[in-house]
Amino acid sequence: MNKQNPNKMQHFNEQLPLPFLKLDKDGTIILYSTLAMEHFDLSEDHIKHIVDNESYEKLLRYSSNDKAPVVRMELNMKSRTSPVTLYEVYLTWDNELHASMILLPKDQSNMQLIEKMMSLQKRLAETDFELYEQREELEQILSRLHELSGPFIPLTDKMCLIPLFGDVTEEKINVISHSCLQSVFAGEYEDVLIDFTAVGNVEDKGIEQFVRLLKTLHVMTGKIIKIIGIKPHTAKTLNKYALEGFMEFNQSLKQVLQTHFTK
Amino acid sequence: MYCPKELAGYFLEGNTVKAWKYINEQEKLTLLDTYHAMITPAMQHIGYLWETNEISVADEHLATVTCDYVVSRLAHARLASPEKNNRKAMFLCLEGEQHYIGLKMVNSLFEEMGWDTKYYGANLPVEYILKTAEAWQPAVVGLSVSIVYHLPKLKEYIEELSKLPNPPVVIVGGRLTEKYDLKPYCSENTIILKDLKEMREWLNYEQTKSKQDAAL
Repeated sequence: MNKQNPNKMQHFNEQLPLPFLKLDKDGTIILYSTLAMEHFDLSEDHIKHIVDNESYEKLLRYSSNDKAPVVRMELNMKSRTSPVTLYEVYLTWDNELHASMILLPKDQSNMQLIEKMMSLQKRLAETDFELYEQREELEQILSRLHELSGPFIPLTDKMCLIPLFGDVTEEKINVISHSCLQSVFAGEYEDVLIDFTAVGNVEDKGIEQFVRLLKTLHVMTGKIIKIIGIKPHTAKTLNKYALEGFMEFNQSLKQVLQTHFTK
Repeated sequence: MYCPKELAGYFLEGNTVKAWKYINEQEKLTLLDTYHAMITPAMQHIGYLWETNEISVADEHLATVTCDYVVSRLAHARLASPEKNNRKAMFLCLEGEQHYIGLKMVNSLFEEMGWDTKYYGANLPVEYILKTAEAWQPAVVGLSVSIVYHLPKLKEYIEELSKLPNPPVVIVGGRLTEKYDLKPYCSENTIILKDLKEMREWLNYEQTKSKQDAAL
């Protein structure tokens, strides 16, 4: 028996990687590991002497759970380093109504989180909310512009046209894809024409996203998507994606419509 | 109908967009009432969830940062540009204290009344505050404390501040003010305020007093 503990508390002589305690049903510590001794002052043999008062209430209330054999909870402990040290406690009861507890110190692992929180706090304190709100407004306007850059136009019950305007960017195709797929799905369209006549610059990421849209449209309609008015450079880029069977190039809307109606 | 649990849920998800939207869907209250009746109960609920073993301290940290965003943005959105009263106040949490949301709200309420403020947030050692207070000479220093073991430190902060050439009025707030008698840790002149409503009443009283003084 340890000199420091005149009570019935006993030292558990195994090298455990985390502090370990065993309590009887009244909360008296009956067994402790070497690390438990290093972390906590065990001169008193009751658990309440090493648990913060508010956490002690938590321990009393949640230490037994009929549904789970092992209870897990965070408790503030009075450790040798600080009167409030956060531990994650794993607790289980045996047949003799003794509770075994493994205590995992949490403060260190939360430290990184706290540092992150502090830097966010600082950034928030420096945030100019006027600029922030203006940016939010601009983003909304931009999204609306994107929407308007790819209107959905039904030509007949089965045929629809999506003319694209301006530069082809990833964000724009994202916005257009959403509304376009919804409309094609709802209207059960079969022939989809996409007109590139009014397109300016084409970004790689934009084309990638456009290829995804093409493939989805192809699966939905079961037909080849007709691309109109595409510039040679863009056609070349699109050809890299091996889209035979998904799409075909057409010179102009006029030509597509003539072919369609003379069928 | 406003539900603190719902707002607390968005804080715990770290969802600033939903939290901000939810607040704005409610009846538009003053800055004080939004802080007092919406933010405070939501954060108290988060504390309750830890006590009942539903969430971890890490969850609480995420909720705090999300709440900070809402509190800061509210201050911007609902703060009318006040007439400056040329009085200065600084706010800080004692060393080791991480619960700073209440203090931040108090800071905004002072700004709303025309005070010039410096807000230092969580965990500020006493040496820093003494240096700044001596140079900047605030009329008020607001301290926040939420952990019982920090009470001796509170005493130290108050004593040190009282030794300054121009000692400021010290205001103490934080969740301990409701549960404990903090007078033994304070000086005679320390003002202990339990919540934001009391804070506003004190501010109103100060405002009237300084106007009367000016009229004399």
